[in-house]
Amino acid sequence: MIPTAVVGVGQTHHKTRRLDVSFGGLVREAVFRALEDAHMTLDDIDAVVLGKAPDLFEGVMKPELYLSDALGAVGKPMFRVHTAGSVGGTTAIVAASHVQAGKHRTVLAVAFEKQSEGNAQFALGSGKGASLGAGGAFAPFIRAYIQRSGAPEHIGWKVAVKDRLNALKNPYAHLKIEDISIEKVKASPMMWDPIRFLESCPSSDGACAVVLTDEQGGREAEAAGRPAAWILGASSRSEPPSFPGRDPVRPAACVQCADDVYAQAGITNPREQLDMAELYVPFSWHEAIWLEAHGIAEPGEGWKMIDDGTTELTGAFPVNASGGVLSSNPIGASGLLRFAEAANQVRGAAGEHQVEGARTALAMAYGANSQYFSMWVVANSLQPFG
Amino acid sequence: MSDTSRTPVRPNSYDRTSDDIAVVGWAQTPMLRRTEKSETQLLMDVITDALEPLSLTRADIDFTCLGSCDYITGQAFSFVSNLDAIGAWPPKRDSHVEMDGAWALYEAWLRLQEGDIDIAVVTGSGRSSTGDPTLIYPMEMDPYFLAPLGADPLTFAALQARAVIAAGIADERSMAQVAVRSRGAGDVDALLTEDYLREPLRRHDVPPITDGAAAMVLVRGDRARELVDRPAYITGFDHRTECHNPSFRALDDSPSTRIAASAAGLGDAPVEVAELQAAFTHEELLLRSVLDLGDEVTVNASGGALKENPIMATGLVRIGRAADHIFGGGSRALAHSTSGPCLQQNLICILEARS
Amino acid sequence: MARFVESTITFPYKRSLGPVVGAFMSALTERRILGIRNGDAVLVPPMEWDPATGAELAHEFVEVGPAGTVDSWTWVPVPSEQHPLDHAFAFAFIRMDGATTPLLHAVDCGSADTISNGARVAPRWKGTRVGRLDDIACFVLGEEPEIDGEDTGPSDEPVGRMDYVASITYRNPVPLATDRAVEASRENRLLGATCPVCGRTYSGGKGYCPIDAVEIGPEDEVDLPEIGTITNYSIVTPVQYPGQTETEPFVRAFVLLDGTDVILPYQPVIELPHDEVHVGQRVNAVWASPAEQLDDGGGMGGAYGNLLGWMPNGESSIDDLDLLNRIF
Repeated sequence: MIPTAVVGVGQTHHKTRRLDVSFGGLVREAVFRALEDAHMTLDDIDAVVLGKAPDLFEGVMKPELYLSDALGAVGKPMFRVHTAGSVGGTTAIVAASHVQAGKHRTVLAVAFEKQSEGNAQFALGSGKGASLGAGGAFAPFIRAYIQRSGAPEHIGWKVAVKDRLNALKNPYAHLKIEDISIEKVKASPMMWDPIRFLESCPSSDGACAVVLTDEQGGREAEAAGRPAAWILGASSRSEPPSFPGRDPVRPAACVQCADDVYAQAGITNPREQLDMAELYVPFSWHEAIWLEAHGIAEPGEGWKMIDDGTTELTGAFPVNASGGVLSSNPIGASGLLRFAEAANQVRGAAGEHQVEGARTALAMAYGANSQYFSMWVVANSLQPFG
Repeated sequence: MSDTSRTPVRPNSYDRTSDDIAVVGWAQTPMLRRTEKSETQLLMDVITDALEPLSLTRADIDFTCLGSCDYITGQAFSFVSNLDAIGAWPPKRDSHVEMDGAWALYEAWLRLQEGDIDIAVVTGSGRSSTGDPTLIYPMEMDPYFLAPLGADPLTFAALQARAVIAAGIADERSMAQVAVRSRGAGDVDALLTEDYLREPLRRHDVPPITDGAAAMVLVRGDRARELVDRPAYITGFDHRTECHNPSFRALDDSPSTRIAASAAGLGDAPVEVAELQAAFTHEELLLRSVLDLGDEVTVNASGGALKENPIMATGLVRIGRAADHIFGGGSRALAHSTSGPCLQQNLICILEARS
Repeated sequence: MARFVESTITFPYKRSLGPVVGAFMSALTERRILGIRNGDAVLVPPMEWDPATGAELAHEFVEVGPAGTVDSWTWVPVPSEQHPLDHAFAFAFIRMDGATTPLLHAVDCGSADTISNGARVAPRWKGTRVGRLDDIACFVLGEEPEIDGEDTGPSDEPVGRMDYVASITYRNPVPLATDRAVEASRENRLLGATCPVCGRTYSGGKGYCPIDAVEIGPEDEVDLPEIGTITNYSIVTPVQYPGQTETEPFVRAFVLLDGTDVILPYQPVIELPHDEVHVGQRVNAVWASPAEQLDDGGGMGGAYGNLLGWMPNGESSIDDLDLLNRIF
């Protein structure tokens, strides 16, 4: 398997409505930023992988067809993945697979959503009335977690505040709530008990693009003074949506996917060997849930890492330094944003929301009924643990 | 046509993929005009049918990749129900493409190249009887300039047929001959007296509506040889896309097919059999011409997409038929799949036996 | 013989156009057709990028027309509901004078005999134009553009948005297992299906086991108790969207059926205010009167057939918070 590195990252300014651009314009904004970051042009890209959530969100079926020329893919392979909310992560993994397999040298991963053109709730319910919405689907999972762990009620509010404060340091983030506070979160309307409005992700238009290349390309970037993020491990797991015996709080697919990625990366103690994580947290309590399911905290203890400030930007294990899904959520792109932000951290390229000294990072995306999981671990070298 | 239509050819010297990954078996559901089964049921059946002859169970599968399209089925996240057909418990390495199963095979092939796992199962499925293609397919066209016209696939196919005929690559008679050969029925002269459906296309020139699914088993190296005597090795696998809007392209050509075939190594040795995903009669003639397939090559002995066209599985079935040629003693076969208006995107898979 | 259910998904999408498509659409309201320069070529319709390379194009717009030439055409004898005209017409590649690439549009020319490659055509403009491709109702034979009705003039503002109503009707089979569950509900019975391999029981018409990937036949179907305990729930604050049926917060509960391992997910509750729903609550199934019958062909949970929902039955609630884990 050929070592693969991220050498360029780009994203759009995520907003509720990007009224200033067409579909092509939206994705190209992210793509050209990524190419500029990689010191490359479209001509350097050998293949393109596009990821997106259901086409029903925008009413454009198979948008990779229309976007082929916009993405400079004419004459190149163009590939479209779709794994629900985890799709952004899958996009990165499949793009990396093109390089790891030795088929192509340099691959562009792109994911986007222009969901303001449609309506997310409508699409999630396939156009029927009484759509649960994503929050309605996950509220029961969160209620189960709170009971199981005995976590106090303020944990969710703390995550909501932390991520929005981090977002103030991320120039691309959607939500900029300058006066975010526990009181403000607590006072916001209840959406799906116990999830309040300010504990929920926004609906955003946005795109993300990542340039991946092989070992030689990664070394060339490093030699030119542009740090690369090396992929130490990457994997996906899926489990069926519903059957007696499924664990809503600690899905086996998540636990096993993390185990696989850690084994590939040579990680035996994730809490110590990872310097930060970008986890897919669309509703505040997911941070506690995922910390446990990824073996970063013991079962029942994830909330404590939040409570004692460990997951703050300046804490010992920062989570979602970018502001996370809670601050920007173009659904199809949200997973790729996690993977891209983790890469930027270990490249030292995260600007104001940089975690000091981050050399290794975990990124994760999940989808559907907490069934699809995509993850990767990246580092500033291929052998960060010696 | 102007330079607008040019499709750049990129050098392909980088490819360092292994030839040691093989198709060892596949299955398809009955291909029906309208099935009463759900897509999930189709997949449940066909995955079992693909595994059983190999004495494999779902527990043996290391990686699955499904190909399907929400819009065909009419439900966002329709592929999530399809996951139930895999038996993903314990959880599986699994992925999904919003493309024909042929591209799901491509993803699995890349994954197996990484060398750590051995057995992948890919599927393609679609129930295209659920909706009216004339009303659904405009939604895959340019959202500003083409979708609002309701520009449908028959219209684009007809315009391409015009170009192909004008270039002398086909005529209405040779198109009718393709139809008769593919379906194993009909009389060319009688067919040519029928009214046009979308001039110059007649009913016999267009594909049927078919519901169905296919599943294929792809295995790495030594494990493949343990499972079957005569694996069909993938020695070339590539796909390319072109500019989207058909009005910007020279429709009497298919450059992405040519480029993909070259990258897949078609030119290295002759093929005996070619399975082309040509949903329209003129497409077969155009693809034959672009791929430079002489009369010695048997094209679409299966009848191809003109006989049965299970959307999202049609391409995978082409690869299956090509594999059958190898299983049955053949040496080298080509399979083709396509997506988008007027053959916008094309995939070529070359399968070989080993002596 | 399966039953088929028809459903239509309709949505009024509102697209933003960006600078190039926006300029084109704005010009349409002025009865002008724009192309964009790409080297020596003039692209119509205008793209933001070079179609061959993806390079960004400078916004050098070129007015083309007013008439054009048919490069190629086909005849549409029976238009679809999405086509620009409701009577037979030609779809044609039309190269406007001054353009390098043709535009696809409809030509209203009466019959297939009147149109040919090389024919000259000009737009028939709609009197009222909004900035969308169908501001050109269609093209007509000849050199002179026409206007259909009174010309209400160009748009006051530059056009930046476009409406697109997508409406697709699907006919899907109701799986036989689902129909058996719906039929059972007509007799006020809850049908479960027990996997012959692993013994798990599924409900709501799910006729297969996702663990063993086997179908479960009528011989393995059982009647489930109509009494159970709420294990978990969602209280949904509805948002408005086309097709939304709710205006007040509503509950969807998970019900564990007595003496079984079966969870019915996403069940409506009846005579149970959302601020009173709780884990451990004892509920009975509520069946529709003939006048209230639902006809949901789906199998993803929720109410179906005659099953309207669940109602508190007066029994004391069960004190077991571990029940919250029973979402599946």
